[in-house]
Parts: sequence; structure tokens; C-alpha cells
Amino acid sequence: MAETGRNPDELFEDTAAQYGPALERLARAYEADPEIRRDLLQEIYVALWRSFAGFNGRCSLRTWIYRVAHNVAASHVGRQSRDRTRTLVDLDELANLPDRTEGERSAGRRHALDRLMEMIQQLEPLDRQVMLAYLEGMDAASTAEITGLSARNVATKIHRIKAVLARRFQEGGRNEQ
Amino acid sequence: MNSESSADREMKELWQSQKTEGVRMSVEQIRLSAGKFQRRIEWRNAREYVAALVVAAFFGFQMIRGGDLLTRAGFGLIIAGVCYVIWHLHAKGSGRPLPEDVGFASCIEFQRRELERQRHLLRSVWRWYLGPIIPGLAVLIAAFARANPGHLKHFDVILAAYVLVIAAAFVGIARLNERAACRLQRRIDELNELSGRA
Repeated sequence: MAETGRNPDELFEDTAAQYGPALERLARAYEADPEIRRDLLQEIYVALWRSFAGFNGRCSLRTWIYRVAHNVAASHVGRQSRDRTRTLVDLDELANLPDRTEGERSAGRRHALDRLMEMIQQLEPLDRQVMLAYLEGMDAASTAEITGLSARNVATKIHRIKAVLARRFQEGGRNEQ
Repeated sequence: MNSESSADREMKELWQSQKTEGVRMSVEQIRLSAGKFQRRIEWRNAREYVAALVVAAFFGFQMIRGGDLLTRAGFGLIIAGVCYVIWHLHAKGSGRPLPEDVGFASCIEFQRRELERQRHLLRSVWRWYLGPIIPGLAVLIAAFARANPGHLKHFDVILAAYVLVIAAAFVGIARLNERAACRLQRRIDELNELSGRA
């Protein structure tokens, strides 16, 4: 029994129901290949289920879930990048990278999402975690609690994220008009 | 309402409204998956032990057919050294399942722990990788020197060159590892700074 008095199985079922779509989005941000992504999602669920026995309520359930999910996914990225020798970049480097899909901006929402996903998948785990927290609508305090970044650094990173997104999407949108 | 916040909202809406597969996992399915993951880890461990056995069998064969006691002792020590290296990699390497307390660690803390573990492995390479092989190699070299076939010209020079090449390889490996450990240390320092620990 977890220290919160709730059964880990119960916690798991609530998590799967409430956070299922967010966890799927998170897995998608870490793994492009659908087959491997399914394995990653399963790995995240297994890690969550195992972890709930130790959940003691010192942080919110949401923080716990995202920490576990991000930590599992970051380990996955570590393993994959060793295998694929893929170079990940931080937010500053991402801002300076050419947008490979710049000429295809008008293909609509689906395409915008693909581009966003591609950007996220290029990021180093920590920047990716902040970007995901931002896109999931979390406030800076929750992001700091999940990632362990200082509040000042979260604010700086969110500022950079907004700048990168604005440059990649808004300016492109205006150019099309 | 400024345009930035409207852009923010659009981006978040784009992200959050993306179609998901709706994967739902029951506790029963998770128990089965956990069992499968466990078996996968056990299978991977078994493969590592088989690899160790193959190495041990090769040197064991050399030990049996190697002539004198000193040569045999050298091969025996090499086997012991290789077994220790494989055990150490297995126990401290990256192929372990995630700890159950993974939710206690923030993402930075988790990354830092992983990097510190890797840095420790790299910095202690003499202790667990190079060191355990040295006694066996030294004994084999001594056995080789003792069994000087006599007909070889410049035997001393050949032996010295052999020792030098091995020593250079060992020092080279250690330096490469130290350099990699320094790179990891820089990343750890960056993480400390980002978390306000520095």
C-alpha cells in the first residue's frame, strides 16, 4: 500500500484514465517510430505502476507521474542516441537551426503538428521536458518541481521556447498571408 | 489580449488536441508487461553470462594446452580478470532496470545521477577494466620471457616492444576515458547551475 493510503493498482487505474492521452503525447515527443513508441509507453506505464508502491504524497500525483514518465523517456533517449548516434540540441541551438520544412508551411494543422513534433524530438531531454510542460499548459512552478530547474531558469527557458515557436510558426504564417 | 498570448494558446491547443491512439492498459496487462520486461532483462543478463563463458572457454582452452605452470597461471588470471570486468559492467553498467524510486527524483536529479554513475565508471576504469587484466598479462609476459626460445634474435627488444605496446594501449584507453569523464563533469556542472545547486 502506498503511503497515501491508496492502493497502487487504484492509483494506476486513475492515472491511466486521467493522464493516458498526455502520456501518449509525451511518448510521441520522445520517440518517432510508432512501434518503439508503443514499447516506450508500455515501459512508462510499468515504471509508474511499480513506482506507486513508493508514492508518499510529498509531491502531487501529477508531479510524480510526469517525473517518472520523463525519467523513463530520457533513459530511452539516452539508449537510442547511443544506438543511432543522433545529436540532440538545446533551445539556443534549435533557434539557429534551419527549418527543414520552411517551404511547406501551408499544409495546415497536421503539418504544423508534425513540424512541432520534429522540433521537440531534436531537443535535449531537459529542454524537451520544459517544452512539453509548457505545451501541456503547466505553470512555471509545476515545471520547476518536475524538472528540478530553478524558477528563474524555467522562466528563461519558457521565454526562449516562445521565441523559437514564434519564429518558426507565427512569422511563417504571416508570410503566407 | 496581445498576439503573443493568442499564439501561445494556439500552440498549446494544437499540441493538446492532437489525435492519440487511446492506448488503455489495465492493471492485469501491466502485471503481464512487468513480467515480460523482467524476463527480457533476465535474458539479456543470460546473454552477457554466455559471452563471459565463451571468453572463459577460449582462455581456458589456452590454459589447458599452454605448457608450463606460469603460462597456465597467466591464462587463469586473465579468465578471472575478464569475469570480474563482465560482472562489474553488469552490476554497475547501464543495463539495469530503473529504480523504483524514480518518481522521487526530479528530471535534473535523475540525469545528474545517471551522469555521475557514468563518470564514476569512466574514472575508475583502472580499477575495474584495465587493472584486473594486468596480473594475467604480467604473468603471461613473464612466462613468455622465461620460455625464451633462444633462436629468436633480439628477444629482449621484442619483449620490451611488446610490453611497451600493451602499456601504451592501456594508458591510451585510460586517457580517452578520463577525457569522456571530463565531458560528463561539464554536463553535470551545467545541470547543477540550472537547478541552482552550483
